[in-house]
Amino acid sequence: MNLKQAFKMSMQSVTANKVRSFLTMLGIIIGVAAVMILVSIVQGGNQEMEEYYKSLGTNKIDIYAYRYNQVDLTEDIMRYCMTIPDLVEGFTPAGTAYTTVRYRTANTENNQDFGNPQVYLGNQDFAVCNNYTLDSGRDISYLDCQRYNKVVVLGSKLKEYLFQAQDPVGQQITIGGQRYEVIGTYASVGEGGSYSWSYDYMNYVAVVPYTCSRYLETYGPPSNFVAKATSPDTLNEAITRIGSYVAGLVPMGTGDYSVTTQQTWQEESQDANRLQSMILGGIAGISLLVGGIGIMNIMLVTVTERTREIGIRKAIGGSRRSIIVQFLIEASVLCGMGGVFGVVLGYLGTVIAGKLLLQMEEVLLPSAGLTAGALVFSALLGVGFGLYPAIKASGLQPVEALRAD
Amino acid sequence: MEQTKLIDIQDVYKIYNEDQENEVRALDGVTLTIDRGEFVAIVGASGSGKSTLMNILGCLDVPTYGEYYLDGNDVSVLTDQELSKIRNREIGFIFQGYNLIPALTALENVELPLVYQGIHGEKRQAVAFDALERVALEDRADRRPAELSGGQQQRIAVARAIATRAPIIMADEPTGALDSKTGEHVLEILHTLNREVGTTIILITHDIKIARTAKRIVQISDGKIIQDRPREEAVL
Repeated sequence: MNLKQAFKMSMQSVTANKVRSFLTMLGIIIGVAAVMILVSIVQGGNQEMEEYYKSLGTNKIDIYAYRYNQVDLTEDIMRYCMTIPDLVEGFTPAGTAYTTVRYRTANTENNQDFGNPQVYLGNQDFAVCNNYTLDSGRDISYLDCQRYNKVVVLGSKLKEYLFQAQDPVGQQITIGGQRYEVIGTYASVGEGGSYSWSYDYMNYVAVVPYTCSRYLETYGPPSNFVAKATSPDTLNEAITRIGSYVAGLVPMGTGDYSVTTQQTWQEESQDANRLQSMILGGIAGISLLVGGIGIMNIMLVTVTERTREIGIRKAIGGSRRSIIVQFLIEASVLCGMGGVFGVVLGYLGTVIAGKLLLQMEEVLLPSAGLTAGALVFSALLGVGFGLYPAIKASGLQPVEALRAD
Repeated sequence: MEQTKLIDIQDVYKIYNEDQENEVRALDGVTLTIDRGEFVAIVGASGSGKSTLMNILGCLDVPTYGEYYLDGNDVSVLTDQELSKIRNREIGFIFQGYNLIPALTALENVELPLVYQGIHGEKRQAVAFDALERVALEDRADRRPAELSGGQQQRIAVARAIATRAPIIMADEPTGALDSKTGEHVLEILHTLNREVGTTIILITHDIKIARTAKRIVQISDGKIIQDRPREEAVL
């Protein structure tokens, strides 16, 4: 007897008891769908979080350096960073001031949603370090900083509040009582999802040359800086090198400094997410296992119910092996079909969960690996849980099996 | 040299619960040989051990003691695979309770032993259909057993037994559940097979009238053969 025949016979018995077959499959269907939906949601959430981190700027090094005698360290650190271009691709001061920004009648003090924006004191590398890209006009230049030029680049959300659809480049706005010329705008960062609120704040910003701190109500020279390493691989070496240089700038007792990265806690939270996805997947996996046990139960009942049939098959020439193969295929067909239905349900559920739970703009789909894994696992369950009843069925003496009612 | 017998059992015992108080000797030292082309009736009251004898002859059960040579081969040393092959190719069974598979159609039931032989597709259907024609049920090929009368079901079972052209047919009370007219019809098919194809028929029955249609009668009682004679000489 070949496999095709065995498969045909198994299908006959699966279709002969449609309701029972469906109820048996239900355990697998729910199990597979649950695994897919839960794991996809966690993966979708992780993906969103990774995008958020990326929008914050990757490979960022936070530098804090301060001397009691208020000497400006910006130029020194910048020059040092320029000597290690293989490790560091950008360096900017990163001080901020909260202050009123006005254009004609539009005044950020009256903005119900966001209030006054964050005004960053940066340089020509601010956009590179913080992952902004220019949308129109030009960016702040090295000379703007050198010459204390009162120029400003606006984030998309702030531009929208002050100018609506109007082109802001070349217009004069008021920041902290002083007039600045708008020289450019940044493209919008991030989109939608659970982080949309954070993204809005990242777009509600203005950036001025750091040397303009003298016009704003900030105290002393910049003490917060951001450098951007060229890649995750060079990040640690860059931290070490900058750290030892800054340590030299701020000898013991003359001030304070630190050089750190956010990458570490980003990675930690990614690890936590991975764990979360494993735990949720595990819980869903248990339901899949329970579904498999349900199939074994049904197969055992089927064996008992069909003892006579097994006897007949053995009497007319069915060998032990052919009986095992038949029952094994029956169980695999049940699990396999359950798996396919489960995958369909899992896809639907994931798409719906992506829209309703995560409120993602794009359609959330389970990964191909997850889908294949769920299918293979359900088929393995079929073989695994079908094996015991199959062996039990095949071991009967024909005469004993025939005697059964 | 003497030609080997088709069926040759020597001093066979089938004992349940041996050496216990409730020991049952279903077969108590049976020696029997059957030649090719014979039509043997094994007759006895219920509980005499005749069905046990058939099960052992048909390789459906194994004796507790004793030897069984089928066509000169020692059956006791055969593997499960080899035994199934013998049941499939050498022996066709007809049971009292028909033993058809309810989920399959008449034709599929007849095809089943051919499936296990590895015959495929149209050839298998043709052979099975041929067997159905021999029992005059070709017009019921797509019916399931539940849609057929008892006599028709038994004829399907006969068709299944003859489909593989097995040289031996063992029939255990084949007419037991049928009225006398349909019973006669089934017996007639067996006789025709024996006469025209030379199939060896072993007929198990408690009905003396039916046993008398066989050429040779073996009477069994309490697990022992008490009479083994040609029909003309049998005392019943």
